Amino acid sequence: MGLFDSIRSAFGLSAEADATRDADPEDLFGMSTAYLTMEANLDFVPADAAALCFSAVDSTDFAAAVDEVETILHAGESDTGTRFRRHEDDHGYHWVVLEDSDPEDLVTSVHFAADTFVEEGYGSRLLAAVFGFERPRDGARAYWVYSFRRGAYYPFAPTGGHERDSRLEFKLQSVLDGELDVEGDEGYWYPLWPDDPDGHPWE
Amino acid sequence: MEWKPDWGLRGRMVLTMFLLFALYIVFIAILSRYMGLFGVVIVMGLFSLGQFFFSDRLALYSMGASKVEADEYPQLHAMVGRLSQQADLPKPTVAVAETKVPNAFATGRSPKQSTVCVTKGLLHTLDDEELEGVLAHELAHVKNRDVMVMTIASFLSTIAFMIVRWGWLFGGNRNRQGGGGMIVAILVSLVVWIVSFVLIRTLSRYREYSADRGGAAITGNPSALASALLTISGRMDRVPQEDLREQSEMNAFFVIPIRSGFVGRIFSTHPPTEKRVERLREMAGEMERQ
Repeated sequence: MGLFDSIRSAFGLSAEADATRDADPEDLFGMSTAYLTMEANLDFVPADAAALCFSAVDSTDFAAAVDEVETILHAGESDTGTRFRRHEDDHGYHWVVLEDSDPEDLVTSVHFAADTFVEEGYGSRLLAAVFGFERPRDGARAYWVYSFRRGAYYPFAPTGGHERDSRLEFKLQSVLDGELDVEGDEGYWYPLWPDDPDGHPWE
Repeated sequence: MEWKPDWGLRGRMVLTMFLLFALYIVFIAILSRYMGLFGVVIVMGLFSLGQFFFSDRLALYSMGASKVEADEYPQLHAMVGRLSQQADLPKPTVAVAETKVPNAFATGRSPKQSTVCVTKGLLHTLDDEELEGVLAHELAHVKNRDVMVMTIASFLSTIAFMIVRWGWLFGGNRNRQGGGGMIVAILVSLVVWIVSFVLIRTLSRYREYSADRGGAAITGNPSALASALLTISGRMDRVPQEDLREQSEMNAFFVIPIRSGFVGRIFSTHPPTEKRVERLREMAGEMERQ
């Protein structure tokens, strides 16, 4: 904790400041090469889907911002062929789910959506971008989660129910570290449990 | 998402901390003339350090709260997890207290060691959005390191209290200016204790406002916390008296303290609910107007 952080918390400002800090979507482009490494070194192929998780704000202006994001993604649908849908999970969090067989297009679309949130002034409401992977050999699932709050990636490998495969997660970390900015503190590797044990976090 | 910073609140908080600091400096300066401070500071330092390190367990124990796992309270855990993520905090330990009084508190010396505790009554009384508001308020306390700030702010106040309480025991031997020294020291300590008590309580109320703002920033929904505060305070007035007295020592950590009619407003650790609700509504209004 730096001096500035100490002063901020001494005056009781940390919570407000950190919860309203804007996100930096540029980090998302790191996923493009990560897709290649995942397949070449770890046999994990793209699950052809990625998603953006955000928490809502109770205001009309925010609803307008979400509409703006939808409009932009609709326009992009014809361009890149990336299909998109909205989803609200059991915890009341919102998702923009994007589906495309080309990982490059997925990354671009996720970035596009995230960037629109930032431009509309709601970058601080972005929680995570989640990129899905599958291992054809045994059907294992893994995700790279980009935390907008931390500005770092972490692996998430659910095994059905509320269990995660820690060994696989550490393996993903060791292979991708350096390529992606991986969160060093595992205390921040938050699970994103899917509502349906066999589904993706956004299903 | 932004709203205008509450400069009034910041200014008052800085002023309170400055006054407290100045008071302590004067206190030490006067006290060191009349008695050897070294022993007192060492003993009290150890005491405060102990309090700092064990207060969380003590608080949980005295509330009859125990840590709960994710499979016992999956929803609560998921909620705390997501809110911590938004607040950029590691996920705290989650505890539940077996009492019907709806309340919540956060303890722990640092964000990594923190525990957020809710009572069963709170889980039953509030709906999901309101519960989120209260949990975010507690996470804001963790984020602002309120346990550490209040422990440091109270340190010399506790010493002053100890001197008032036990000073006469050491009356004869340590003073350097004859028999009257200890009496002066006790009187000065008494004044310092009273003034610092008021200042510390004031600081505590400002930090509540800060945590309300922080919590609202985390959930993006100031009205939910406002409605939770109203629900809780409405409920608390109807809870039987025995329960209330049992809980009253824990007041400082609660999201809403239990009312006791004769204790004046300046001694209260929390601002009045109506004022907090009013400020949260202002925040909600600002969000619409931006």
